[in-house]
Amino acid sequence: MNAPLVQARGLGKAYPKVHRNADRLRALARLLFGAATGERHDVLSGVNLDVVRGESLGLIGENGAGKSTLLKLITGVLTPSCGSVRVNGTIGALLELGAGFHPEYSGRDNIAMAGALYGLEGADLRARIPDIIAFADIGDYIDEPVKHYSSGMVVRLGFAVIASLKPDLLVTDEVLAVGDESFQKKCVRWIDQYLAGGGTLILVSHSMYYVQKLCRHACWLRDGKVERYGDVFDVTQAYLAYHERKAAPVPARAEVARAGYEFSVLGVALNGVDTETPLPLEFGATLRVGIRIRSRDGRVPSVALGIVRADGTPVYGVGSEMDGATLEPGADGDYVGEVEFADLPLLPGSYTVRVHPLDPEGVRLFDTVERGIIVRGASREFGLVRLAHRWLPGAAARER
Amino acid sequence: MPLASLTLRFIDRELRNRFAGSFTGGLWALIAPLIQLAVYSFVFVHILPARIPGADAPGYVPFLFAALWPWNALAESLVRSTTVIQENASLIGKIALPREVLVLASASASFIINFAGFVAIVLVLAFAGNDVHLAGLAPAVALYVLLFAFSLGLALAFAAIQVFVRDLAQALAQILMILMFCAPIFYDRLLVSERFRGWLDLNPFTFYADAFRAALLHHGDVDATRIAIAALAAVAALAIGHRIFRRLDPHFEDFL
Repeated sequence: MNAPLVQARGLGKAYPKVHRNADRLRALARLLFGAATGERHDVLSGVNLDVVRGESLGLIGENGAGKSTLLKLITGVLTPSCGSVRVNGTIGALLELGAGFHPEYSGRDNIAMAGALYGLEGADLRARIPDIIAFADIGDYIDEPVKHYSSGMVVRLGFAVIASLKPDLLVTDEVLAVGDESFQKKCVRWIDQYLAGGGTLILVSHSMYYVQKLCRHACWLRDGKVERYGDVFDVTQAYLAYHERKAAPVPARAEVARAGYEFSVLGVALNGVDTETPLPLEFGATLRVGIRIRSRDGRVPSVALGIVRADGTPVYGVGSEMDGATLEPGADGDYVGEVEFADLPLLPGSYTVRVHPLDPEGVRLFDTVERGIIVRGASREFGLVRLAHRWLPGAAARER
Repeated sequence: MPLASLTLRFIDRELRNRFAGSFTGGLWALIAPLIQLAVYSFVFVHILPARIPGADAPGYVPFLFAALWPWNALAESLVRSTTVIQENASLIGKIALPREVLVLASASASFIINFAGFVAIVLVLAFAGNDVHLAGLAPAVALYVLLFAFSLGLALAFAAIQVFVRDLAQALAQILMILMFCAPIFYDRLLVSERFRGWLDLNPFTFYADAFRAALLHHGDVDATRIAIAALAAVAALAIGHRIFRRLDPHFEDFL
């Protein structure tokens, strides 16, 4: 029981580059007579992964990041080019639509075939067929050839087979998205029960909703490598922030040489730390922004401060002049100020703090300095900030 | 995974596949050889009378079918099995299964259908008054087993190579046609001039043609050495074929 259910070490997969037909012949000769490998194209490399029993892991990443390849390696459909992967238990896999169903045969025949592929025999299989058919809930179509099925029906049937098998490890590749609302709910309910009963899940999905709902951990694959692995909320937030950054326009900085500024930012410290790396922060923690500004001609600057989400959506902005605060003279003729956000209500995710020095009148804006913060926490709320709210008791009584 | 039951399931699927959608279903396994038997009988008895030299020689039709029908088993199982991995690409890409099973099931199905036809032909020939020795069916079964092992070995190698080099299936049809005429199937080895007769034995099927006729028609005979060589060839084909298959198996997905 102590050994992980899935153990991958240095796992990699490379496909041979086959441009011309002669390459196929050359590849064959190489494989048969064991010469050096030819040109290859890495889709996955150096993946280390441990999945223990009872774990639920979400695999996320962009298209082509290697998620499906990793699943296929785990299920044994693909052979690794390097490294190894071991699974100490039975696997039920739903890779893509209609995994292994034969289009000419009826749903019933395909259930029997799929059962055989998973090692189900005679009486045992016959006993389960009614349950499988009931779970799939596709009516009379069960006796029609699978080629007449809609894609949703194929997934229903596939999921029903797996649900009946109760494998040690369930592997699904973006299949929930195909079923209709009620079937999705049924699947999610089943997976919940399956996990509660000690089952293990590896789920590939582009829906962060499902990943956060069903998985405790997440693994973000990027260009065939593990970019990040850990708590599902941390990883999915980092992944979403990455997409937001990708979508955001490149910030146009340094339009004017900074030396020429009348006022320039010397430093911005978040909770006392002044670095370019984002500051991790628990949800609801206190954020202090310390600002140090140089004034070229000795006038007292004012300062504006804003928080934006990683994609540039503004969350909140305020200026010292609005609050009636003034910066205090510090050492070396600089001006310093510190702002505190107690119980920061930002929802988990990545944000940027922007600091701009302004002239004393608060009209002209000079420099811009940004610092990242990452708010961590397990929350499935939507939006940017938590609005204070409460659920009132006795609503029914008032309605009467 | 229980390999035997999986293989049976695939054979069952393969058999049903071949007759899927036909009214008479499996009966075609019997109807087809009998029609062929009728056509050949008409042509080689009434239109183009053919005779086998020798005083106690069998009629041409039993002579022909004793070798032609086993040849069909070999040829058909090779042609069908060679493309079986390629045809099941979608299954292979989604489910982990021992892929040999696919080749085994395909070759087995060909042989099962062929053997049913063979028994039907032998019974009909005997019933029609030909000098067919039904006791020869026992050694014929043994010969079928040997022929099956030989063709399964080739099929494993061909199916694996076909994944990489798609020309094989095309070439195979032509090679089989040449091999068919280079074995004493349509003719007796005595009709071949002394100069070429020795070459016939290089064709692996020559042994089977001679052996089936010896068993069922008591025409000619095969000595122990030839049986041993054929058995050795079958075992070697199986061993080498399986090795090639195993070697290429991990890379199928890359080239399918």
